[in-house]
Amino acid sequence: MEIIRTEGLTKRFRDFTAVDHISFSVKKGEIFGFLGANGAGKTTAMKMLCGLSRPTEGKATVAGYDIYSEVREIKRNIGYMSQRFSLYEDLKVWENIRLFAGIYGMDDKTIAEKTDILLEKLELQEQRGRLVRALPLGWKQRLAFSVAIFHNPKIVFLDEPTGGVDPATRRGFWEMIYDASEKGITVFVTTHYMDEAEYCDRVSIMVDGKIEALDTPARLKELYHARNMDEVFHKLARRATRE
Amino acid sequence: MKDLKRFLSFVGKEFCHILRDTRTLMVLIAMPVIMIVLFGFALSTELKDVKIAVCDLSKDAASSEIMAKISASPYFKVSAYVNNAEEINRAFLKGEADAAIVFEDNFYQRVLHDGHAGIQIIADGTNTNTGTMSVVYLSNIIGGFIRELAEERAMDMQGETSAGNVPIRIDTSSHMLYNPQMKSAFNFVPGVMGMIFMLVSAMMTSVSIVREKERGTMEVLLVSPVKPFAVILAKTIPYFVVSAFNLIVIICLSVFLLKVPVSGSLLWLVAVTLLFILVSLSIGILISTLVSKQEIAILISGVVLMLPTMLLSGMLFPIESMPEALQWFSCLIPAKWYIESMKMIMIQGLGIRYCLEHVLILCGFLAATGGASIIKFKDRL
Repeated sequence: MEIIRTEGLTKRFRDFTAVDHISFSVKKGEIFGFLGANGAGKTTAMKMLCGLSRPTEGKATVAGYDIYSEVREIKRNIGYMSQRFSLYEDLKVWENIRLFAGIYGMDDKTIAEKTDILLEKLELQEQRGRLVRALPLGWKQRLAFSVAIFHNPKIVFLDEPTGGVDPATRRGFWEMIYDASEKGITVFVTTHYMDEAEYCDRVSIMVDGKIEALDTPARLKELYHARNMDEVFHKLARRATRE
Repeated sequence: MKDLKRFLSFVGKEFCHILRDTRTLMVLIAMPVIMIVLFGFALSTELKDVKIAVCDLSKDAASSEIMAKISASPYFKVSAYVNNAEEINRAFLKGEADAAIVFEDNFYQRVLHDGHAGIQIIADGTNTNTGTMSVVYLSNIIGGFIRELAEERAMDMQGETSAGNVPIRIDTSSHMLYNPQMKSAFNFVPGVMGMIFMLVSAMMTSVSIVREKERGTMEVLLVSPVKPFAVILAKTIPYFVVSAFNLIVIICLSVFLLKVPVSGSLLWLVAVTLLFILVSLSIGILISTLVSKQEIAILISGVVLMLPTMLLSGMLFPIESMPEALQWFSCLIPAKWYIESMKMIMIQGLGIRYCLEHVLILCGFLAATGGASIIKFKDRL
C-alpha cells in the first residue's frame, strides 16, 4: 500500500525551481531515506508533503489525502520532528508531552497512561518534572521523536533528526526508528549522514531539485559500483550544477 | 469544546514561558513601576533659583515692591532687566531666563486709581514642571502683595466713607512659551502608559513569536492540525492580560503615589487603553510575520516603534513646537493618538466625545495592521 505518492510535484519561487517534477511513492511501514546536498530541495519537498507549503504544480497524496484540498486531514495523520528537536526548552518533560498530545486531540486519560509508559521506556521517570533545557542533547532528541509519534501518526517526517550527536547516540536513535516502523508507522527521513542512509529500506537522492536515484541501498551500491552509500552519494552529487 | 481546551492549553503554555523567564518577567512587571516612579521623582518638584527676566515698564513703588518680594524668595533670582518683548525672547533663547515678568506702564497709578492693573508672567514650557510651578509661585507672591495692599488701604480708609473704596484687582496673565497647550505637569503619565503598552504588547509579543520561529517550535505547531490563527491568538492573550495588569498598576501608582487624579471617566480610560493594547498586539504580530530573528524583532520594535513613540508622541516634547514635517510624520504613530486621548481623559477630564477622532484613528490602525498581518501570514504558508 502506498502511503505517499507524488506525480510531477514542483515548487517554484519566482524563476527558481526548488523542486522540479519529482515523482515517487513510499510504502506503508517503510523507512524512506530522503537524501540530497544542501539546497538540493529536500526541505522544500518535505514542506509540501507536510502541508506547510503549497506546490506550484503536480499531484500528491499523503496518507491517502490530497495535498491541495485535504491539508488539515494530512496534518492530523502525520508527525514531525526537525533537527532543532522542536521541544519547548522552558517547559517540563511532562508538560511538553501533554501539550503536543493535546494539540492532536488526545484526551487527558490516554495522555496520562501513555506518558507513564513512554517515560518508563525512555528511562526518564526521574526527569519527568525537569525542564527539557536540563536534558542532554541525545535525550532531548529521543524525547522529541517520542513526542512526534505519541499520537500514533501514519507517517512521521524527520528532518535531519540526528544532527550534532555522536554515533553511539545516533544508533540508539535509529533503534527507536525501527521500533516505530515495526508498529506500522512510515518513516520519512532526511539526513546527511551516509551511514544512516544504509539503515533505510529505500533511499532517494535529490540533485538540483530532481530525484536522480531511488532504490534500496544495496541496489544503489551495485548500480553505481560503490562500496558504500557515501560513494554513491558523491558520484551523484558531483553532477550538481547549482550552489 | 475540544478546540477550546486545546486553545486554553496553549494559553497556559504561553504563561509558563513568561513566568519561567525572569528577565521577561522583570521587563513586564517591574518596568512600568520603575518608569512611573523614576519619572515621577526625576521631575523635580522643588523650585530653586529660577532665573527671572524683568520687564518693568512703570518702575514705580508697586512694581519695585513686588520685585523685591520675588528676589527675596529662595525660588527666584532676577537675572536680567529688559525693556521689550524682543529682549525677553532673547533672554529665553540665551538661557538667561526661565521665566519673565512684565509690568504694564503706570502700574501703581492704575492700581490706585482704576483698581486694576496687569502683570504678565511668561514661562518656558519645555520644562513643564518648572514652568507651571514658577507661574503658580509668582502668582502667589503677587497675590500676597495685593492682599497687603488691600489691607493697608482698608486701614487707611477706616472711618472714611466707603465711596472712595475701589476694590483692587491685578490681572495676572500667564503665558507658556513653546508649549501653549500644556495643561498639567503630569503629562508624562499618559506618555509612560503609551510606551509601556507598546513595549509589552508590541515588542514582547513579536519577540516571543519570533523566538518560536527561531527555535523551530513554530514549525511543529504549523505542521500540527492547530489553526495558525489560534496559535498566534494564544500567544497574544497572556500579553494582553499582563498589559491590563500593568494598566491597573500604573493607575494606582499615579493616583496614590504621584497624586495625579483621573479627572475623566475611568471607564473610557480603560476602554481606550484596551483598544490601544489591541493595536500594539496587532503591530507585534505584524512585525513577527516580517522577520525571523529575535534581534531584528527587538531592533524593529525598538527603533521603529519605541524611539518615535518617545520622541514624536508628545511625551517628551510638545508636538506643537515641532517642524511641520515632523508633525505630519507623528500622525503615523499610533501612540501619539493614544497619549493625546489619555491626556484629554485622564488629565484634562474631557469626555469621550472630545477624543472620538483619536479613537477612530486607533481603530483604523488596528484594522490596517491586523489586515496586513493576516495577508502576510497567509502569504507565508
